[in-house]
Formats: sequence, C-alpha cells, structure tokens
Amino acid sequence: MRSLLPFLASRLVRAAVALWLVSTVVFVVMRLSGDPVPLLLPPDAPRSEIFRVRAELGLDRPLPVQYAVFLGNALRGDFGRSIHFRQPAFRVVVGYLPATLELGLTAFALAIVVALPIGVISAVRRNSAVDQTAMGLALVGQSAPTFFIGILLILIVSLNLGLLPTSGREGWRHLVLPALTLGAFAMASIARLTRSSVLEVLRADYVRTARAKGLSEGLVVAKHTLKNAAVPIVTITGLQFGTLLGGAVVTETVFAWPGIGRLAIQSIYNRDYPVVQCTVFLSAVLFIVINFCIDLLYGVLDPRVRSG
Amino acid sequence: MAEITRRDVLKTAAAGAMAALPAGLPRPAAAQMTQKKELVVAQGGDVAAFDPHQSTSSNDIRISFNIFDNLTSRRPDGKLAPGLATEWKLQGQTTWVFKLRSGVKWHDGESFSSADVKFSIDRSLDKTLKGNRVTTVLTTVDRVEAPDPSTVVVHTKKPDPLLPARLGFYGGQMIPKKYVEQVGPDTFNQKPIGTGPVRFVSWTKDDRIVLEANPSYWGGRVDFDRLVVRALPEMAPRVAALLKGEVDLITQVPPDQGERIKANASTAVAGALYGGLYVLAVNSQRPPLDNPLVKQALSLAIDREAIVKELWRGRGVVPNSMIAQGDNHFDVSLPPLAFKPAEAKDRLKKSGYKGEEIVIETTSGYMAGDKPMSEAIQAMWRDVGVNAKVEIFEYSVRAQKNRDKTFKGLWWSDPTSTLRDPDGMMWRLLGPGGPQDYWRHAEFDELGNAARFSVDEKFRGDAYKRMTKIFLEHLPWIPVIQPYEDYGLQKHVEWTPDPLQQLEIRKFNFKFRRA
Repeated sequence: MRSLLPFLASRLVRAAVALWLVSTVVFVVMRLSGDPVPLLLPPDAPRSEIFRVRAELGLDRPLPVQYAVFLGNALRGDFGRSIHFRQPAFRVVVGYLPATLELGLTAFALAIVVALPIGVISAVRRNSAVDQTAMGLALVGQSAPTFFIGILLILIVSLNLGLLPTSGREGWRHLVLPALTLGAFAMASIARLTRSSVLEVLRADYVRTARAKGLSEGLVVAKHTLKNAAVPIVTITGLQFGTLLGGAVVTETVFAWPGIGRLAIQSIYNRDYPVVQCTVFLSAVLFIVINFCIDLLYGVLDPRVRSG
Repeated sequence: MAEITRRDVLKTAAAGAMAALPAGLPRPAAAQMTQKKELVVAQGGDVAAFDPHQSTSSNDIRISFNIFDNLTSRRPDGKLAPGLATEWKLQGQTTWVFKLRSGVKWHDGESFSSADVKFSIDRSLDKTLKGNRVTTVLTTVDRVEAPDPSTVVVHTKKPDPLLPARLGFYGGQMIPKKYVEQVGPDTFNQKPIGTGPVRFVSWTKDDRIVLEANPSYWGGRVDFDRLVVRALPEMAPRVAALLKGEVDLITQVPPDQGERIKANASTAVAGALYGGLYVLAVNSQRPPLDNPLVKQALSLAIDREAIVKELWRGRGVVPNSMIAQGDNHFDVSLPPLAFKPAEAKDRLKKSGYKGEEIVIETTSGYMAGDKPMSEAIQAMWRDVGVNAKVEIFEYSVRAQKNRDKTFKGLWWSDPTSTLRDPDGMMWRLLGPGGPQDYWRHAEFDELGNAARFSVDEKFRGDAYKRMTKIFLEHLPWIPVIQPYEDYGLQKHVEWTPDPLQQLEIRKFNFKFRRA
C-alpha cells in the first residue's frame, strides 16, 4: 500500500482548499444578504442604538478586517459568538448535531434497507407488476417536494389513522415519519440506480457465461452481478448520505426536529452570521469526509481504481 | 417589536399544500373535560433569551411575561391593572410614586422589594449591558428612588403620561437584583428567576421549555402543575398537533386554518382584536404620492369590507383612523374608512394624476396576508385608473429599507400599539425622526409633541381629535384592517388571550374544564 500516502496527502490538500472556499463564500454571501442589527432591535430604535449594537457585534469594522478575524479564529476552531443565542456558535451547532445525526442515519438505513432489495428485484423481474409499481412509486418519491410528502404523511398517518405523533423528538415513534420523509428521495434514487446498474451487469458477457455454465439464477445474481453493480450504487449512496445529513432543512422544519438543518435556516433568517458559518463549515467537513470514505471504498471494490 | 420571529416564514408554502387536501377529517367527538395537569403550548419559534432585557421578539415575551411580572399589568380587556405595584400616583408633573405589593417572593424564596425595581429599571437603561435590546423603552426615566422597601419613586425627564403603561410592557419586567448580581447575566439568561405564575425548570433548544406552577403566586396558583412550551415552526404541523390533541394551545392561527380548527369537534379558536393596525405606509415625498388628493383617492378605492370578508374570513374590522380600536382616544363616533370608487376617480382627476406608476412594496408571508392583500388592492386601484404595481421582496430587505428609509411607494406596516395609546403607536412611527418619517405637517407635529408631554388627558384627547382630521386629509398611512390575533385551543381549555401577543396565563384568564 505504498501508493496510499500521496493519495491521502493530495486528498487532504484538496479538502483544505474546499473548506477555505466554502467558508469564504458563506462569509461573503451572509454579508451581502443584509445587516442583522435592524432585525435585533425594535423598528423605532434610534440610529445611535443601531451603531452601538453594530459595534458590540464587531460589525462596524471594515470587511477585510472582519474576514481576517473570522479566518484566524476559525483556524483555532472558534466560530465566534452566536448573535441570536448569545453563546459560542460552535457550542450551539454541536448541540444540534445529535438530532440531525439520529435522523440522517435512520433515514439512510431505512433508504438502503428498502431500496436495495427493491432495486435488485425490479431488475431481475424486469417489467413485472412488482417492477412497475416500485418504479412508479420511486418516481413519485423522487419528484414530490419534501414538505409535501411530510405534510401528507402527517395528515394521513398521524391525523387520519392516529398511528404516530405529528412532530417533536421524544422516542422512536417520533422518528418514523421524519425519517421516511427525509429518506424518500434517497430511497427512490438508490432503488432506481440499483435497478439500472444490476440490469446492465445482467447483460454482460460473464453473466451469460455463468448462466451457460448452468448456475442457478439466484447464484448468478448473488455472486456475479451484485459485486460488479456495486460501484455506481456506492457512489450514489454516499452522495445521498451527505445530502441526508446536510439537507434536512425542510424535513426538520416540518416536523419541528431540533437539528442543524433547522438551525441553519433559522440562523439565515436571523442573520446570525457565526452560526450559519459554523453550520456550513461542519456540513462541508462531513461531506468531504464521506466523499473520502467513498474513494477508499472504490479501491476495495474495484482494483482498477487503486492502480490508476 | 423586533419582527424576526414574528411570522412563519415558510407558512405560505405549507398552507398551500394543506389547502389542497380535504379538510374536516372524520374524528370522534372527544371529551371536553380533562384531568390534565400539564398545559402544552406550541408557538412558531423557540425563545432566544430568557433575560427580558435581551429580547423583544414575540416568541420571547410570550414566555417572559409568565416567568416575570411587571409593576403594572395589561389585561386582555386592554386596561392597565395592578401588577407588582398595587397603586401609583402622579405627584406634580414628573414624579410617579408606586406602592409595591407586600409579601411577594422571588422563585428562590427571597423577598421582592423596591431595590429590585430600581435595579430592573436602571439595568434596562444600561447601554454597557451586553445584548441589551430594551434601552429605548424607558428613556423618559430620569432616575429611580427606593425610599423604603415598599415604595418606588420614578422621576421622569419631562411629564410622561404613559409611564405606567410603559412599565407594563416589554422592558418593564421586574428581575431579582440579588440573584442577577450573584450569578451574572449568562446564568440568569439560562436559568431565570422571576415572581411570575410559573418558574423555570428546563430548556431544550428548539424543542421544549418546561416550566412549573409557582404554588405561592400572589395572583393565585394557576390550574396546572407544568407548562410545556414547544417550538413548532411550520403552521400546518402546528395545526395538526392541535387537531391530534398533542398540544392544548397554539399561537398565530391564520383565518383559513381557524376554520379547520373550528370544524374539528374537540378544538376551538379564541381571538383577541389585535392591539394595532395593518396599514400601508406611504412615502409622501415622492410624486404623485405627495399630493393628498391622490392618497385620498387610493384610500377611497379600497374595498376594505371585501378584504375583511374574503381574505380574512371576517376575522377583522375596518379602521376609522390611525388610532386602533381599544386604544386611548379611539373615536367611536367616526365612521369606518369608506369605499367610494366614483369619488376616488373624481379626486384622481382633480389631482392631475397622469398615470404615474404607484408601487406597493410587500413581503410574502412575513405579515399575515401581506401578498394577497397587496394583489387585491392593486386590482382595486387599477379599477379606478391607477397604474398600480406590486413588488415583492424578502423581509430582511424590508428591514434594511425600513432602517435606511428607502421605500419608494407604499409598504405594509403592522404597528403594535404597545402602550394602547396613539403616542406609543402612530406618533412613535410617524413622528419627526421616527422610522416612518416621510411626511411633515407643522400643526400635526406641534400637537403630537404637546400630547406626548402632557399629563392632562382632556388636552391629549382634543389634540388627537385634531390630528385625526389632519391625518385623514393627508394620509401618511392608508389604514387597511385591524385583524384578530387567533389562537387554537382544545375545548377543555378556557383561556382569554390578550391583544398584544403576550400569551399571559394567569388564574384570572385560564382554567382547565374539570369533570
């Protein structure tokens, strides 16, 4: 494994550049989006009061100075104090992280457990009733907006059938609907991709050979197809995982789930610069780490990647 | 009021999805009595701070008005009632003497006294206090004295007829001197102690606040053991949580959702006429809006009855001036603002209006009904020949324009009458240097100033009558509606809301229906 070291080093450099770019973009965009001070004070607050609060928050300094301070502090893991919560931003964001991880991981597990078998079955039983129903549902899951699915589930499952609570975070019963809502898109796209990549492999020469050897269909699928169909599935699954962790904004808002997606959107509305910066930074770190793990997985699955 | 947490940002989208679904789901008629010992309230957002000096947003004051008390207390009927002060008197022109309630204890068992009052008022004015957001509330105060433990003397810089009212709203909550000095502002903000009907237990951010009944509350123990406040940001799920019975009381219910709640067997709607108005403020400096005739025509062309009936399902009243119903000096003899399209056309002609573009600048969903009302009014104005246009922007843009005074046409404002007096609403915004200072009139200004500093209510009444006349001619605002603030509740809850979004829960206005 001599080739792993330069691989790791180049990945690390790229990750650092990506993080720097992401935090710079967020810094600039947040400042372009407006001043938090008018939102903090009563509408009739005099100008002197606005200037006092701006100074208190360090927003009276020139932008390059603010940026330098921000970068310097961020390097030391200090993202400043939340304007809204009046606490260190990092501590605020980390406090919201467990809820997001719980929801994201559950949604992810749910998506895989449901989507992989469905995708394989649909491919093997192509154009059957099972395939058509599953792919029809997947189309809906992929195209319906999240808030619509969420509210629909609340209305039908919670309100009409009375099976599960509508919102909040207390136990597993509170987790089911948001996880289903959040996982719907990933579930649908993983199922569809699994189906098409399994189909592709099923048409390959070596599968025909295996069949010709007289292997049973089950063995053909299990031994010769799945492993070869895995690379694109791992890619999309990994990408979906990142989306599930960072993209739970709507789901968390609809179900009042106290995670970082909801924190991010509220902090944007509040112009809470430090919290937004910290949330985006941590999400970017998550994405990068996940992508890195996928790259490593490729190597395990496909020896060609390692040598190339 | 700081406006940020005030309205549900995403509610329009969710409301659309909800409206597409069949309403009035079949549900068994639930029992209307309860054995509950816990009241669960859901509002649109979590609190940012418990320290009452650190926040003015609606989500925060709904909680802080229950943990803390004020010297005076604004009741649901709009009247000012005794709070921690049992009586107050004006001596001369600038000296107010407050007699404090005896035997009141802080949640930690310490006695409440005049030293706490002096500390609270002084701290509200302290600009060196980090995060202080209420420094502008009690600026008329010159100094506070505490001659004995049960007396407080407040000297104002000039005569201030509204001091007792100011002390009854945000910025006027009483906080414990000893505790705050001992633990410091950060701990106080996380673990507040007050004299109010509930005391703090725990806070899980963006999820729930748990409070428990104060058994020795001076106003009587409230009829529950625990009060749980949940943050449910989306309106549709908030309504669903109520319909399902997971929560007992929800805030910020828009009219169409109110009908769903009423259609459900076990839930009801309770409303209070909002202590304020929804108005279109006008930039009266830019032609053609500098011409009073044009503004009169715009006002006459609005069919407010139709807006109340169609867009608000009847949940509102038509204003008659810049003074809200329920406020001091509201003139009951004035007729509601009239809809006379023919008269409007006539005045437009007289004004020499040549089809210049007139823009309504609106947010979408920040203020209840802002966009639909803008579009309705645009159509009404086009009907009389006004070249009306609607521009939509995000509410932070609005906040910026508000600060920089760069509105170019008409824009929505929902001024809260925090003191239930024209001075604390119309004059605060329209007065010289105020945030909506786009129009000046010598006599109007002179009267507004005189009324601000007069403790003679008869004189003030006359001044506001004359100002109303001038206002109706020049229309620096075009008042549109005074809506109801609606809450949804389980039928086993009996509660009277107040008009200023305080969510005050006391023995006198709250009880569970017990079997």
